[in-house]
Amino acid sequence: MAGTGLFERRVVISGVGQSAIGRQVDRSGFQLTIDAILAAVADAGLTVDDIDGLAMFPGGGAANLPGYANGNLYEVQDALRITTTWRQGIVEGMSLPFYGPAMAVATGQARHAVIWRTVKEGSAARGAGGRLAYGSIKPVAEGPLAWLLPVGMLSPVCQVAPYATRYMHEYGVTREQLGWIPVTQRAHAALNPDAVYTKPLLLDDYLAARMISSPISLYDCDVPCDGATALVVSAAETAADLRAPVRIEAMAGVVDGRPSWEQWEDMGRVGYAAAAAMWARTALRPGDVDVAELYDGFTIECVWWLEAMGFCGTGEAGAFVEGGTRIGLGGSLPLNTWGGQLSGGRLHAAFGHTAEAVRQLRGEAGGRQVTGAEVAAVTNVGGFEAGAALLTRW
Amino acid sequence: MDATVGIPPAVTEETAPFWDAAAAGRLVVERCAACGAESFPPRGMCRSCRGRTMAWIEVSGPGHVYSYTVNYQRWLADLPVPYAIVLVEFPGHPGVRVAGRLRGCPPEEAAIGLVVDVGFEPGPGGFAIPSFTAAR
Repeated sequence: MAGTGLFERRVVISGVGQSAIGRQVDRSGFQLTIDAILAAVADAGLTVDDIDGLAMFPGGGAANLPGYANGNLYEVQDALRITTTWRQGIVEGMSLPFYGPAMAVATGQARHAVIWRTVKEGSAARGAGGRLAYGSIKPVAEGPLAWLLPVGMLSPVCQVAPYATRYMHEYGVTREQLGWIPVTQRAHAALNPDAVYTKPLLLDDYLAARMISSPISLYDCDVPCDGATALVVSAAETAADLRAPVRIEAMAGVVDGRPSWEQWEDMGRVGYAAAAAMWARTALRPGDVDVAELYDGFTIECVWWLEAMGFCGTGEAGAFVEGGTRIGLGGSLPLNTWGGQLSGGRLHAAFGHTAEAVRQLRGEAGGRQVTGAEVAAVTNVGGFEAGAALLTRW
Repeated sequence: MDATVGIPPAVTEETAPFWDAAAAGRLVVERCAACGAESFPPRGMCRSCRGRTMAWIEVSGPGHVYSYTVNYQRWLADLPVPYAIVLVEFPGHPGVRVAGRLRGCPPEEAAIGLVVDVGFEPGPGGFAIPSFTAAR
């Protein structure tokens, strides 16, 4: 299947834009959304009048956590005063931020589509005096959550923790090894002016941090924050009008195991089907990847993707990341060069990861630029939803 | 450890028999009338042969812990912590995995492979929730 004819080759990511990002940004989510969209459109070299597709994740006002919901698409369209030929609010099926817009643009439903993700989870957690339970904004636990929340799996931390327990048990991987992921990403965040946490994090700090839901401790968890990220996806044929487009070499979203956190059959292996489907669409190989922006809601999710994508073998991620050399900026696979969600902020659903991949491939990543970056990997989530992509320099 | 602080389940036509049985201290799962395969959570459809005629059978254990976590974070006001959550599988019941509390021992005694007996305890909203005990 590798080669021409893939729909993702008919589109490009043309713009990325972000609002102010922080633990607490004293502007409404709506204003952060508009900030990010205007920045992304300008970054693409376009004007607002060029935008004819609008999408957001999550759609429908979906909210599992305070500050999680994304606003209303029609109010944003009204504020922008544009005409749209394609709109989408996505909840299920958001394997990658640019997947839906790419389908719309590749099939001619729009020429320049914007998708955004806005979070106010930092302010919400502050206002509530701490991070709240996943389903606490609803009186009862619905759907898959009906088997999780009532028994006390009240947060994504508790829901993902058994994966880490099982993985470490099967492969003999230790917290002393995996701690190098948050430690190294913090060093990257220090080079990102927009990152939430930039103070150095030592392995001893990581090991001494309080346990949240074993074996996941404080620095294994991403940082709830306020901020918006917008992406512009454009038809490849408009490239001459664009400032700095980036290609989508290949992408895939596959959910193969049982899609609920506690029922996933093999908790030591996640994301393999999505990664395999993605690699089947390209002649590039893991060794060709210059920079990896791998979803890191938790440290263990990075581990899944390092192994599923073939950057190292199954059960080998501990040895791969130990010492931080390979995944550091000068290493063979610089990982989450913006700090990831662990330090950069929980911008969620690989929007922050995609923005960083685009900046790296354009050579616009400032002090954290990976020299000569031509191929970037982007992945999202892992179990419930899973998406993997390669982006390449124009 | 009190497990009643929390969020109760929404009960559906598919799941009501499970919660009714739980209230009576019994763990039940669906069994396919056509092929005999067992499924959980209940969907009214066999996950093996896609048959639509399902009956309820009791799983009496013992089971073994596939994985676990000990939660230390107070996600809700007044939530008693720490407590152990275990994911339990049953040798005679392939395809069945049930999440529940582990009670009757310090949470730090949770372990992969731990053999546990089936049980329930009072949970949120008056529901009985799965709550396992280490087999002696």
